[in-house]
Amino acid sequence: MSRLTASAAPAAGRDITGATAATAADTAPAGIDAGGVAVNGGNSSPPARHTPKAGRAWRRVLLAVWLPLVLLIVWWFASANSTSPFFPPLQSILTETWKQWIVQGAWVNAVASLSNLFVGYVVGGLIGIVFGSLLWRSRYLRQSANPFVYFLYVLPAPALLPASIAIFGIGSTRQIALIAFGAIWPTLLNTLDGMRGVDAVKLDTARALRLGGWRTYFTVVLRSASPQVAAGLRASLTVAIILMVVSEMIASNSGIGYFILQAQAAFAVKKMWTGIIVLAILGTVLNLIFVLVERRVLRWYYRSRALGNS
Amino acid sequence: MSTATRNAWLKWVLPYLAVLIVLLLWQAVTASGIVRASAFPTMTDTVAQLGRELVTPTLWSAVGLTLIAWLIGMIITIALGLVVGVLLAFSDFAARSAAPVIEIVKAIPAIAILPLVILTIGSNLTMKVFLICFAAFWPFVIQVIYGVRSMDPVVLDTSKALGVRGVRRFFSVIVPTASPYLVTGMRIASAQALILAIISEIVGGADGVGRQILLAENNGSDSYPTMYAYILVAGFLGLALTGGFFLLERRVMHWHESQRNIRANGALTA
Repeated sequence: MSRLTASAAPAAGRDITGATAATAADTAPAGIDAGGVAVNGGNSSPPARHTPKAGRAWRRVLLAVWLPLVLLIVWWFASANSTSPFFPPLQSILTETWKQWIVQGAWVNAVASLSNLFVGYVVGGLIGIVFGSLLWRSRYLRQSANPFVYFLYVLPAPALLPASIAIFGIGSTRQIALIAFGAIWPTLLNTLDGMRGVDAVKLDTARALRLGGWRTYFTVVLRSASPQVAAGLRASLTVAIILMVVSEMIASNSGIGYFILQAQAAFAVKKMWTGIIVLAILGTVLNLIFVLVERRVLRWYYRSRALGNS
Repeated sequence: MSTATRNAWLKWVLPYLAVLIVLLLWQAVTASGIVRASAFPTMTDTVAQLGRELVTPTLWSAVGLTLIAWLIGMIITIALGLVVGVLLAFSDFAARSAAPVIEIVKAIPAIAILPLVILTIGSNLTMKVFLICFAAFWPFVIQVIYGVRSMDPVVLDTSKALGVRGVRRFFSVIVPTASPYLVTGMRIASAQALILAIISEIVGGADGVGRQILLAENNGSDSYPTMYAYILVAGFLGLALTGGFFLLERRVMHWHESQRNIRANGALTA
């Protein structure tokens, strides 16, 4: 048993490296940046393209948006004459969304959700990075913390929702605490693993240059591990969004999750759909923002990878 | 004692020691009243309750209900994900067109549609399985696409030249070659599936481990040991399922480059 947990924890982070690859893979074709490393860099892309750069960018954008647009149009016309109580016409969902969220001011729910998410995610992410670094630094701490970190990482975080109500009562403190708690583990494990994967030559060089502890940490260790830290932060964001909504669905009186559940209780199906639409938009936008920031911050990394692949 | 033996010995004993210390600390903090019993039960109460629950049919039927939803959801996810992913991966155009759609749908938290699914399907196993598939399918299919597309074209060409095609090519060439990605995808999908199973029980009211946690919470502070006992059970489920895929991952990937690095690094730094 101990052997399993002891040896599996490094693997826990390590194969999120697999997820790192996946993140790169699934964001690349969305046409956000010219990078397009992972999927593009393989053997599938034709070796020579003589199209001018602008034309290529256009093709990318077109390739990325045509299918979502077609699906939306199909949804629009397929649902246009729908009389099903559960699947109202898309047109009326969209007008209802405008009415509910803008005119009647349901947007305050989105603000409540997002502010909880923001605070919880930042706190959880920071704790993850700091404690991941501490575990990297001290081998004894790492070996001692191993069972706990691994257990809390695999524990499905929503299971803690009832416990969080018991401890914090009702209110946004509980929601923030739950979001932060869930966001810690993916970031922590990835930080630790990224730092353990730092090339020993780099560390030796830093020592030879007498860079000092903190400078080595920031300029060598944290920087080298940052792609994997980013992968961890992205996994944490997914968990945080899930916990944001779940924590609003039970013992809460504001937020998007609360809005959706209220609508369901009142059998206001159209209203419920508007909540789903808003949540879908928020989820997509948050992920998009994350990818944009990641690409900007890690530009050097994506560039070096693109070079290595070509 | 030499440093090496001392380190090996510490590596073995430290995790147990840490667990023991934390358990004792838990007991000390709760029994002394620093933390109210109405907020957090004592360690002995919780462990004793877990022991009692372990011999009740309630616990095992809850575990069974959660597991069966997970299992059906995973089977559907893997079967569907393999077919859809492989088909998409073989065309550059299809993969690039589908990627944004997959990204967008993946970004929709599956809980968003939970109330709708409850209204249309009801609080039952079908609802759980549907939500599990909705959450687990997209990350898995991305891994499938990525795994197939990272295949060495020489392997594909060779299999083509040898006349291996159709179902046989799928199972004897594509699946084994892409297996490192597939297993990683399965592990991610499995974690998502378990999370959604628990959510559909807590929020959606279907029977299972999650519902037992909520019921115990509703019963007030006397039932808190039961609540934490079930939370521990949920953690052990995660440990068993995710741990299972970790082991599978290492088994399947033992020849793969990334695993060689783990071994090398593990030997260096552990």
